[in-house]
Amino acid sequence: MSRKPSISKGGSGPASISNDDMCPVCKTIRYLNKDMEFLINPDCYHPMCSNCVNRLFNDGPNQCPYAGCHQTLRRNKFRSAFFGDLAVEREVDIRRRVAAVFNKVEDDFETLRDYNDYLQIVEDLTFDLVSGDDKTKAKAEAVLKDYERQNKAEIERNRKAGREAEEGARRRLAAEREAARQRRLDAAREAEEERLEKARSNEEALDQLARGDGTAARVQLKRRGGHRTTTQAPDTEEVTGAAGRLSIRGLKEKKKAAPESTGPYDPFAGYDYRPDRYKLRDTFANDWLNGFARDPKHATGGYDVREYYARAMFDAFSGLGVFIDDEKETGGLDMSAAEVAEFGAGMAAEQSGPVVAPSVKMEVDDVFA
Amino acid sequence: MASEDARYRQSTQYRLWSFSPAQLASTREKTNALARANISETLASKQSSSSSSNGGNLTAALSAPASGANTPDPPSQRHNPSTPAVPEFLTPAEELQLLNFFMVELIRACNFLELRTDMRATAAVFLRRFYVTNSIMTYPPTEMLKTCLFFGCKAEGHYPNAAKFAEQFPQTTGEQILAGEFLLCQGLRFAFDVKHPFRALEGAIMELRRYGDIDDKRISSAHSRAREILKFSPLVTDVYFHYTPSQIMLAALSLADRELAERVIHETFHHHHHDPAAEQTKETNRKGSAAAAAGEQRASRLIGVEMRDRVAGVVASCREILAREPPERLTAYWGAPESQQITRPLLRKLKKCRDPDRWDLVAYQNAKREQARQKDEDAAAARGGEHAQRGRRASLDGGGDGAVFGDVHERDVKRRKVAKTEDPFGGPL
Repeated sequence: MSRKPSISKGGSGPASISNDDMCPVCKTIRYLNKDMEFLINPDCYHPMCSNCVNRLFNDGPNQCPYAGCHQTLRRNKFRSAFFGDLAVEREVDIRRRVAAVFNKVEDDFETLRDYNDYLQIVEDLTFDLVSGDDKTKAKAEAVLKDYERQNKAEIERNRKAGREAEEGARRRLAAEREAARQRRLDAAREAEEERLEKARSNEEALDQLARGDGTAARVQLKRRGGHRTTTQAPDTEEVTGAAGRLSIRGLKEKKKAAPESTGPYDPFAGYDYRPDRYKLRDTFANDWLNGFARDPKHATGGYDVREYYARAMFDAFSGLGVFIDDEKETGGLDMSAAEVAEFGAGMAAEQSGPVVAPSVKMEVDDVFA
Repeated sequence: MASEDARYRQSTQYRLWSFSPAQLASTREKTNALARANISETLASKQSSSSSSNGGNLTAALSAPASGANTPDPPSQRHNPSTPAVPEFLTPAEELQLLNFFMVELIRACNFLELRTDMRATAAVFLRRFYVTNSIMTYPPTEMLKTCLFFGCKAEGHYPNAAKFAEQFPQTTGEQILAGEFLLCQGLRFAFDVKHPFRALEGAIMELRRYGDIDDKRISSAHSRAREILKFSPLVTDVYFHYTPSQIMLAALSLADRELAERVIHETFHHHHHDPAAEQTKETNRKGSAAAAAGEQRASRLIGVEMRDRVAGVVASCREILAREPPERLTAYWGAPESQQITRPLLRKLKKCRDPDRWDLVAYQNAKREQARQKDEDAAAARGGEHAQRGRRASLDGGGDGAVFGDVHERDVKRRKVAKTEDPFGGPL
């Protein structure tokens, strides 16, 4: 989107500056005045050069110089347009104005539906203001003014709340940035300390060797021991001076604890799929399946004839120990408590429903009832 | 509980569609009683509406001569038209007889259409399940039969074109087939997965071959005979409701070759309780004795002698039922005139006592749709002008927006409707 109208090349539409090199009022061309700047007034959005504005409106309010435009303009309202297309400029202004008045947020509404309805109303009003004809525009304007007058206090409150929220967000962001900077600084300082420590211990070792007390091995041993204490030191330091880095430490602990608490992932949620009654073998004698087992057409697609074996064997032996006659009569042998309750309720409904009220229809939605 | 049984207990076939014989009988009786009540009510209301207009004519006709001749209105004449309004209904036993007749019809249709085994079995089970909670007098079995065939194909993963499917039947349109589809789904409680004994038979045969000491020819002949039985007998009896597929399979196998079925049962439930050899081995490693004892107990419960006898008993009872309808009866009995002599009067009786509103499924469905539409319109009108205005505004702003809002609106209504009906699964069981 082109920004300044003075830079835009060949604006489009009647309201935009059709010839950006010539002021439509005094007909001055850019060739004569290199610093020519176009200004508009939000009352009528007619562009004219700054010289014309100074000339016409220096002595107080005056009529717009455009033919047929009877708006009375004041000089202090003139400004340079932000958008090349002045229609867009005008719409943005209107939207800004409406948004300042209708400044409720989603939290003010009970349901999302209500909020959406509110947004719809606001959008309708805005649309009328932007592209309605004179009558609807006037009407919408009146509605807007009316609303503003009636809800003055609330609008002010919302505005303040919005500003506060914005401020809070900004502060939070700044605090986060500051914390990050602090962490980086700490890390750098630590690294530096470590480096110094290492250099010092090296020097010490060399000194000891030079002084000649003890063999090289002992010196090494000593050094290691000394080093151990220094490696322990940062740990304690981390514990004591870690007030600023609490979140990081917590993260570590969580990671360690997680696998212990849940154990390995079980996709079947504790369900055992091993067969009890039969044994699955890799091959079964089955004449008509042998063709498939060897057929590359099937094997390429990922088919394994053992899938069929598993299914057939499962079908052959599943439910052998389910005695429907007994189980359904007694309300279930191996049912869980909830299932039994449900089943019992179903039975009760079955028994009481039709007997008590023989006029109960077989279908709920009976057309001819 | 064996893991295989636990898994079977999760199926809808077990949870929704397994009954003890007594339960099934009582459910069928209830269905019959409800159908009677409903049909006599609708018939009576029709009769009264027509007779009230008749009566009006009668009084009008009577009023003229009443001024002249003082003839009293004979009360018997008034009651006469209402007494034949309640026809003789089918009894539950007769309904079952008719249902079996239609099951055979369905199997014949399957033979004609050359459907796959699983499709025909699924279709048959669908029909049988549907008429557990719905009476033959309420919905036309000839129509539901076609719908079951069509839907059974779909349930088994074969998707025929409804119109082309209908062409294979005389005087049938795709609309007629589809009219009963949702009804069927409701009647099935939306449980479309039927577990059949066919693959189970393959498993048992594989297991038999594995034993290695049985003549292969014998196994093959038993296999084909059992398949034949499974394709017919379970479908015209109630065994799908009372037994699990593996039990039905073993019963069919024992009908084909009793020894082989017994062999399977004996090999499966092979665990012996007090095996001295096992006892001794346990003595040697005392450490795992507790765990071993627990395993032993579990094994004896799962594959012990007790379980074996129980399973054998169930299989024998299933076998008894299957033996009543061997595959030969398809032609020897159901095709013979003696069965027609039984079913023909029943069909004649059915013609008189069927539900006049629901007999024509296409008209019934249209009426239902019309009513639903009416309801929607009423609801939309009741919601008032506010909504309509918004809709108009939206459609002014842009066609797309208007369409979207309209959609949302419609969906809303649908959801509300679903919430309103207490049971989306159709009528009470």
